[in-house]
Amino acid sequence: MAEAPMLQVENLNVLYGDFQILWDVSMTVGAKEVVAVLGPNGSGKSTVLKAIMGLTPVRSGKIIFEGEDLTKVPTHEMVARGISMVLERRRLFGAMTVRENILLGAYHRSVNKDIASRLEWVESLFPILAERRDQIAGRMSGGEQQMVAIARSLMSRPRLLLMDEPYLGLAPKIVSQIAGIIQRINQEGISVVFNEQNVHLSFGVSHRGYLLESGRMMLTGTGEEMIHSDVIRRVYLGV
Amino acid sequence: MTISLFIEQIINGLIIGSMYALVGSGIALIYGTMRVLNLAHGEFYMLGGYLVFLLVVTCGVPAYLAIPIALLAAFLLGALIQRITIHYLLQREGWAFSTIAVTLGLSIFLQNSALLLFGENVQSVPYYVTGIVEFAGIRIPMQRLLILGVAILTIAVMTYVLKATRLGWAIRATSQDRDAAAVVGIPASRIYLITFGIAAALGAIAAAMMAPIYAITPWSGLPILFKGFVVVILGGLGSFPGAIVGGLLLGVVEAVGVQLTSTEWRDVIAFALMIAVIWVRPWGLFGSKS
Repeated sequence: MAEAPMLQVENLNVLYGDFQILWDVSMTVGAKEVVAVLGPNGSGKSTVLKAIMGLTPVRSGKIIFEGEDLTKVPTHEMVARGISMVLERRRLFGAMTVRENILLGAYHRSVNKDIASRLEWVESLFPILAERRDQIAGRMSGGEQQMVAIARSLMSRPRLLLMDEPYLGLAPKIVSQIAGIIQRINQEGISVVFNEQNVHLSFGVSHRGYLLESGRMMLTGTGEEMIHSDVIRRVYLGV
Repeated sequence: MTISLFIEQIINGLIIGSMYALVGSGIALIYGTMRVLNLAHGEFYMLGGYLVFLLVVTCGVPAYLAIPIALLAAFLLGALIQRITIHYLLQREGWAFSTIAVTLGLSIFLQNSALLLFGENVQSVPYYVTGIVEFAGIRIPMQRLLILGVAILTIAVMTYVLKATRLGWAIRATSQDRDAAAVVGIPASRIYLITFGIAAALGAIAAAMMAPIYAITPWSGLPILFKGFVVVILGGLGSFPGAIVGGLLLGVVEAVGVQLTSTEWRDVIAFALMIAVIWVRPWGLFGSKS
């Protein structure tokens, strides 16, 4: 019998007020897997990630991570469960330094130990952040801020990393740099779920993808399967 | 006005200003972390005054014990009030604005509770220390120097807490981005509770130190609330260092201004200063433009 996947989302329904955002969304993420959540603007991609992290209330459905249902776990306890997140548009503590931002990633008591070795590991992934440690985070460029945000999220040594629109608003050169970082993180044994509008961009790094349209899961498969799918063509091109 | 009188007024201004700074920094902390304009903040000052009065005058506790006890009681009271009122509004999406009505209601409730409990008689507390320090023709009562000393100590402790402790980092992170703070494991609602308690305690310290000089009445929170608002607007809404500088600036400008004009002009000077500053820097001295 196959081992249960690391993360199982089953029939997730999310509403903002009376407006339903997600309709019976189900997906799985395996250990050491990179999964892309695709879909046009407003399809509910971000809401899937926010619901997993507990940032948005879930009406019904299950989110099972390593055998435990997360739907009642508050956001601030997620790092203790082994889940971390890079929020959309970085969301750094703008008035604090790079080093302070990164250290806050290990704030939770369950991960607030071996700080020196955590810092060393994170700074080995992003050598530039060691040089910029005393810079005020809010004054850095978008790409550098994204690196700080990723570094902060890694300080808790998560087993699953959620990345909400990691490429948003970044120059093409920076995008390929961030893509390289995602692969590097995955090589460290961390599962990554990220969302992105651009299908071709996503399949550069992900093993599998899910396609959302108007809050419903339309399609899943490997990059190759999905790129040639008629459903993708219909959703994106309307043909 | 002679030079020594002028210097004396500046020192007096710094002393009163340091109290404005403590009250203002509480308002700034609450606004900074939870975006709540606490209209009941003056009542923490008023309650702090009565707590010290009860301990020192009614129970005969020595001042050096009474002030820490009053401070702790104010912290607990502030945290309790936050937990049973504002907490519920912040939990709900889109209800944050109602905190204005709730804190106004709290202000009225606390004023009338004090009136019921303590009556409308003006109360006061004897000087904690007596004597006058004289130096190069400048005369300052010891009591006032003590106020300044306590204020400096309090500000130093608060600065240390915010800069260098786990709690301080959590407060600063939550005030900058609540969701990002939650993601790294900081429980916003607990930080709000503690921040509210600290802010109440800061108001109580100011009240405890001012109790020998200014009368304690159920309404003594109101004028200090207005001064506190001037302070946070001067310093930049939500900025702790801004509130400290704003408080001291307001104290000095008021003291010198009153010396040059007369006492009735005190509030006019305060608000004129505020208007002048926001004319040039609408975001305050330490606030950010956005």
